[in-house]
Amino acid sequence: MTLNWKYIGRRFGQMLLTLWIIATILFFVFRLMPGNPLTAYIDPNFTKEQQEILLEQFGLDKPLFQQYLVFLLNLLQGNLGTSFVYRDDVLRVVARVLPNTLYLMLFSLIIAYVVGVLGGILLAWLRGKKGETVGIILTLFTRSAPQFWVGMLVLAIFSFRLGWLPSSGTGPAGVTYASEWAKFTSPVFWKYMLLPSLTLAIYLLGLPLLLMRTNMVETMEESYVTIARMRGLSERRVMLKYAARNAILPVVTAMAVGFGYAIGGNVVIENVFSWPGLGRLLVDAVTMSDYPLAQGAFLLAAAIMVFMNFVADLLYSVLDPRITVEDMG
Amino acid sequence: MSWKSKIASSLLICLLFLTLSGGVIASQGDRVIRPIYVITRPQSSAPDEYETLSYLTAMMTELGIDARLRVVPWEQQSDLVWFERDRWDIAGWQMTARPERLDPDEFIYNLFHSSTTVDGYNFIGYVNPKYDAIAEAQRVTVDPEERRELILKAQEILVEDAVYDFTVHPMISIVYNTDVFAEDSVVDMAGMGIRNFWTYINIDPIGDQKAIILNSGETVQAINPFYISGTVDSWVYELIYDRLMRMSPEGLPEPWAAESVEWLSDTEVQILLRDGMKWHDGEPVTAKDVKFSFEAPMTGEVPMYKPFVDVISRVEIVDDLTLVFHLKRPWAAFEAASLAKINLAPEHIWGPLFEDLKTRPENAESIQEDVPIGSGPFKFADWKFAEEVVLDAYADHFAAPKVDKWIVRFVTNMESTLGMIQNGELNFLASYSGDASLLENLVSRNPMLSMVSSVDLGYRFIALNHNRAPFSDPAFRKALVAITDQEFVVEAVWKGYAVPANSVIAPALEFWKNDELKWPQGGLEQARQFLKEAGYEWDNKGRLLYPSGQVEEHTPSF
Repeated sequence: MTLNWKYIGRRFGQMLLTLWIIATILFFVFRLMPGNPLTAYIDPNFTKEQQEILLEQFGLDKPLFQQYLVFLLNLLQGNLGTSFVYRDDVLRVVARVLPNTLYLMLFSLIIAYVVGVLGGILLAWLRGKKGETVGIILTLFTRSAPQFWVGMLVLAIFSFRLGWLPSSGTGPAGVTYASEWAKFTSPVFWKYMLLPSLTLAIYLLGLPLLLMRTNMVETMEESYVTIARMRGLSERRVMLKYAARNAILPVVTAMAVGFGYAIGGNVVIENVFSWPGLGRLLVDAVTMSDYPLAQGAFLLAAAIMVFMNFVADLLYSVLDPRITVEDMG
Repeated sequence: MSWKSKIASSLLICLLFLTLSGGVIASQGDRVIRPIYVITRPQSSAPDEYETLSYLTAMMTELGIDARLRVVPWEQQSDLVWFERDRWDIAGWQMTARPERLDPDEFIYNLFHSSTTVDGYNFIGYVNPKYDAIAEAQRVTVDPEERRELILKAQEILVEDAVYDFTVHPMISIVYNTDVFAEDSVVDMAGMGIRNFWTYINIDPIGDQKAIILNSGETVQAINPFYISGTVDSWVYELIYDRLMRMSPEGLPEPWAAESVEWLSDTEVQILLRDGMKWHDGEPVTAKDVKFSFEAPMTGEVPMYKPFVDVISRVEIVDDLTLVFHLKRPWAAFEAASLAKINLAPEHIWGPLFEDLKTRPENAESIQEDVPIGSGPFKFADWKFAEEVVLDAYADHFAAPKVDKWIVRFVTNMESTLGMIQNGELNFLASYSGDASLLENLVSRNPMLSMVSSVDLGYRFIALNHNRAPFSDPAFRKALVAITDQEFVVEAVWKGYAVPANSVIAPALEFWKNDELKWPQGGLEQARQFLKEAGYEWDNKGRLLYPSGQVEEHTPSF
């Protein structure tokens, strides 16, 4: 297949427009919300003069529209501003926690998609049998169970009852990993990541599993599968080599979008397990009215999500030659 | 004139009077008090406040007031109370404990002096010239006994005027592991509980574990001696940076990095530094560093510490270890609010940084050293963002701690902390905002845990907006105070983990607290009595009316 550059260009333009709209909404939403960054500093010793200094520092003394223009101008230069609370560059603050979020998300996504795809095949195989009913009910249960509840449950069992796994953070108190790589390759770190990623994987599992099952059931009706069966190939070979290979396509693109979502972090899981990630940072930023940090972090997450959607679209056309980009425009 | 015409003319006059006054004398309808909105944070985030104010709302209804509870998030509540001072009627509020609040000045002056009504902490709009005079006098009365008389008097006026509807001083309950630490090695600081500086340097490990591992729900934002950032930040910089004086466990300033503090006159204070102190990088601590630390906030680069050095006219270095502070005017709280507040920072590190700031738009608050250098009993070891801060004991300190390390973990899941103190992930539960009876339960099931409950320096109260009638009337405020049954609030809302409050000064501050305050209580009956005496009446539907001649001038706040 050939890439349709015109389409890609148009899709790219749409992406920029989407991002501009998101940036604008974010900018105004945070400023129109009740609350004021100064309330964090309400203190009996805080004088009017000091308040004004702070407002000026934060750039909040200018009219809203002017603030908006400054914000857009900075954005174009890749400058997300300075966090009110941490007094540091937003990108730098985000960069401190982003790796933790990525590890957690990727690990859970991998567990969820591997188990999900295999589970989907299994359920399709068990079509019409009791096992299918039980499987689907179980999947729907894991999908609907609130994440904080599952989180508290695994904590209560594995951390507090059995004492097998730690309950919070990315490492033991007072222990520092020499580098990001040392952390990633340390078994201790993985021990800390196990419970949160398991909880998240339980939640993420439903989508690939059900998607895979439905696609399998559909592809198994296709004539090439019937022919394969007629050729006398083993059921296992038919399922894996013929049906599953084709059924997996939508799951792959769903995963691409899943990666995009993952950047935003997972607010609930990160808070339940006190995981120092982006989701937690976002919540803190919003509650402390740290506008630049909140909008910067949201924007970054949105940008990656929009981009991954774009990638998923392209990926789809690459993986399935029957689909041409014109169809999707 | 005959008697008939006399009657006729007097009747005419009466008629004329009634006709003319018809438009002036208010009908009863205008005297009905408007619907009063009682503002509270949600039950989920502030259960005690919500329950207290629900109770008050119900009692106000009994009194014939159309009271309505309005639940708003903290952001909106603080916005309204702080920035729109003429728009609200009643709101739940609290003042929290901080070491510098052990000196009465902050609560006595800043909260109630009329100069802070516009944009300071006197957001209730309390104005009383007699009170102002006392609040001002205590500031400049350096003699403690004389000042004490003024502080006692000030508290008395605050009660007479029923400025706040005080509810309680909560109890601070802190749990620690007695398998790890000797039981008598924690220090219960007046109004602060055992989570304090003195505990951290005194707590004695008896087993293999030599680190104190505590928790905080909030993360550290900055470790900077010139920036007052979050609460947990202050726990950290209090340990890394020394101060000339520290608030003692009894709540009074005592010499710390200073060997002695001597008042040469009402405006001259001589400091003799301890000999042999060293910064964490090995450099000696000198009088020059001290001078630098107090002069830096006088520049525009350190806005938050400026109020604490404003009174200083100059710092004179006598020799390497001796300094004299010259004050512009006497200031009674100078020791507590300045000498025990300003962090000592090394000039050889911060001097160049301040030079640099002169040409940049940012101020000193934006600086974050990779390894903050102080001279305190703990030195910085590591900061894992949003996860933990680790400090190492500074063995060369004159009050070197007994533990090896001080580690604060940022745990967002409050329920989790209860499990962590049991499985050893924590050994000192420093912050827990849940139900204290749960803690008690936990401790009774675990012999290795011990709990210490102490009365908080901070307090909860119901803020009444003096800017709006009827709250501008002390009699009306007293009636509200009378219907707020503090014993009931202590038992029903706080489950016994609080004590009734009647002053901004906590009972723990024995020296400053006025023990003879007569706090109006007595329930509905007493409240009706207060109101009747002040001329309030009730209409035939039982609705409370303003005193005759007064009409409703305000619109409801929502």
